[in-house]
Amino acid sequence: MNLQRVGHIVVKDLRLGPRSPLLLFAVVMPLLITLLVAAVFGSLFDQQPRLGIVDLGDSGIPEAAAALDGIEVTTSTDPAALADRVERHDVDAGLVIPEGFDDAVRAGEEPDLEFLVSGRSLASTRAVLAVTTIDLVREVAGGEPPVEVVTTVIGAEDYVPLGDRLIPLTVFYAVVIAGMFLPASSLVEERQKRTMDAVLVTPARMPEILTAKAIVGISLATVMGLITLALNRAFGANPGAMVLFLVLGAVMVAEFGLVLGCWARDVNTLYTAIKGGGIFIFLPALFALFPGVPQWIARIAPTYYFLQPIYDLGARGASFGSLWDELAVCLAIVTLLVPAVAAMGRRAEHDLAIVT
Amino acid sequence: MRGPIVAAIVRKDARAFTRDRFFFFITILALVAYAVVYFFIPSNVDETVTVGVHQTGLDELIRGVAAASRGLAVAEYDSSADLEDAVTRGADGVVAGLDFPTDFAETVAAGERARVRLLLPAGVSEDDRLLLEGIVGEVAFAVAGVPPPVDPITDAVVLGTDRVGDQMSLQDQMRPMLLFFVLMVETFALASLVSIEIQERTVTAVLATPARIGDVLAAKGIFGTGLAFVEVLFLALVIGALAPNLPLMLVALLLGSILVTGFGMIAGSFGRDFMEVLFISFAFMIPLAIPAMAALFPGTAPLWVRLIPSFGLVDVIGGVTTDGESWREVSGALASLAAWSTAAFVAGSMILKRRVSTL
Repeated sequence: MNLQRVGHIVVKDLRLGPRSPLLLFAVVMPLLITLLVAAVFGSLFDQQPRLGIVDLGDSGIPEAAAALDGIEVTTSTDPAALADRVERHDVDAGLVIPEGFDDAVRAGEEPDLEFLVSGRSLASTRAVLAVTTIDLVREVAGGEPPVEVVTTVIGAEDYVPLGDRLIPLTVFYAVVIAGMFLPASSLVEERQKRTMDAVLVTPARMPEILTAKAIVGISLATVMGLITLALNRAFGANPGAMVLFLVLGAVMVAEFGLVLGCWARDVNTLYTAIKGGGIFIFLPALFALFPGVPQWIARIAPTYYFLQPIYDLGARGASFGSLWDELAVCLAIVTLLVPAVAAMGRRAEHDLAIVT
Repeated sequence: MRGPIVAAIVRKDARAFTRDRFFFFITILALVAYAVVYFFIPSNVDETVTVGVHQTGLDELIRGVAAASRGLAVAEYDSSADLEDAVTRGADGVVAGLDFPTDFAETVAAGERARVRLLLPAGVSEDDRLLLEGIVGEVAFAVAGVPPPVDPITDAVVLGTDRVGDQMSLQDQMRPMLLFFVLMVETFALASLVSIEIQERTVTAVLATPARIGDVLAAKGIFGTGLAFVEVLFLALVIGALAPNLPLMLVALLLGSILVTGFGMIAGSFGRDFMEVLFISFAFMIPLAIPAMAALFPGTAPLWVRLIPSFGLVDVIGGVTTDGESWREVSGALASLAAWSTAAFVAGSMILKRRVSTL
């Protein structure tokens, strides 16, 4: 293999790459997926009760409510508009505080307090807001509860927040789109448009072309993986080990991409194969989301051996020493794929019928 | 535009579609996957926070607190160890535990501060923590004989239809999204078919026959709309989306099919190969999916979301299937959907016509 020729093909692919929408796709999609996943899953499963407050006097309740963690508070001035927002379920409940409310409570009176509840709010949400409202009013009255609450958190060592469980999903997309799609579709496209024939007329041989495609895919996959991890603040305590598994993962998916790219006769066949086999390589990302299901199933997917270490390092604070098994299997897969890529490359070269 | 010619072109497109393994596979896979996903999504809503309690001599008070609110349930345990075990395992649906000391009532009655253990599993939400701390405080105040100055639980005014016990499940919320996603896949399918015809110049071959460009456009519109409509109708039937108001849903889904056909024609006209079609289709699909995503969140969608062409479709499907809204109630959303569908279809036809005439 001539490394200079490999370099020339890499430079050619990098020069022509920006013209392909796939490169844009590989760069934009992981970022978009990270943002969508964070926005949709982050807020969908972590919705807080929403309380709207109209203070017709000068009560201390709105300020105290706004300082609370776990409740989203908005204030306005128009009781009718608040009622409208409650009815449309823009807030779960509304509180209309009359003028002189705080003074009346401090004087031991039981003043009226309008508490509006949206018909669509959950019973549990109503309970939270009602109990919190009582607490806030008691605070205004100046009464300290004759009790001290001592909080004990149970099971913190095994708990991984949802946001962290999404790390394999976002890293998967970043690495797979750039590392697998890019070399695979580039190979198929070059064969379909016969530009591969033109390259093979030169002294360049198939192994050099495949190496060049792999270098471009691995580089982009690694960069996109690093960006995704940075966006998710998921480098963990051992960034060196994280980068190692990311690069190994990029190499693994690039090898899969090269095998697919050499095998598929056209773009449609390639995408049908990816669509059909996608669930298999996607398994580890899916299983990380649901810790309750048997995790051993994910081990049948080759991608497990780089995604799981990335998850363990980034979300569970694992040490590099505890990941030797995964590293060994990952290296074995990467090594075993090399002859497969070479064999598929030879087959593709023969199919092109331009063999010197 | 002549019927027999248009029908012949539609038949040709249908054959091309079923012959294309990729799109045929995707289409079937998507329909099956969406139906399976739908039936895996939870169909009920747990509105209750279940709290484990270990206490002595507070039975009446604890039951009173639970009875006052429909959103709270109490599971009692004989010992602190049992309670801790239940919270750790999440047994009986317990989300947290309150461990009152045996001398709680005496301590508080004597005017002293009692200590109550609040057992929280890692990851419990801040609002649940607020609720539990509030309950402990109210139990202590009740023992001390200090009633709350206000009673927002019994004095609450419920605005709108009270849906406690009949809340919209995640399955209900996902219905518009799944139906819309089926239509979106069709944007891609039609775009690719149009693109292939342009690239392979089969459209010019068709125009060499007595068929005119108007016939081709009509055929593409009918085929795209028909394909999308049949698929979305099938899924709507499977997931029970047609039952609340069949005629209204048929009109909404037909308009939705016309909308995505318009975008499919635009994407197909611009895309020069598979990757470009994929990219342009995604450029349309992502913004169009926003209203379907927004429907998962409570409350009114912001103005910018309401201005997205697909909002009317999502709004009508959501309104009809979950709230049983009538023609009159969804008329605004339906009018907006009709306007966007017409605009997208006209724009798609014009762009495709222009593209074909340049060949």
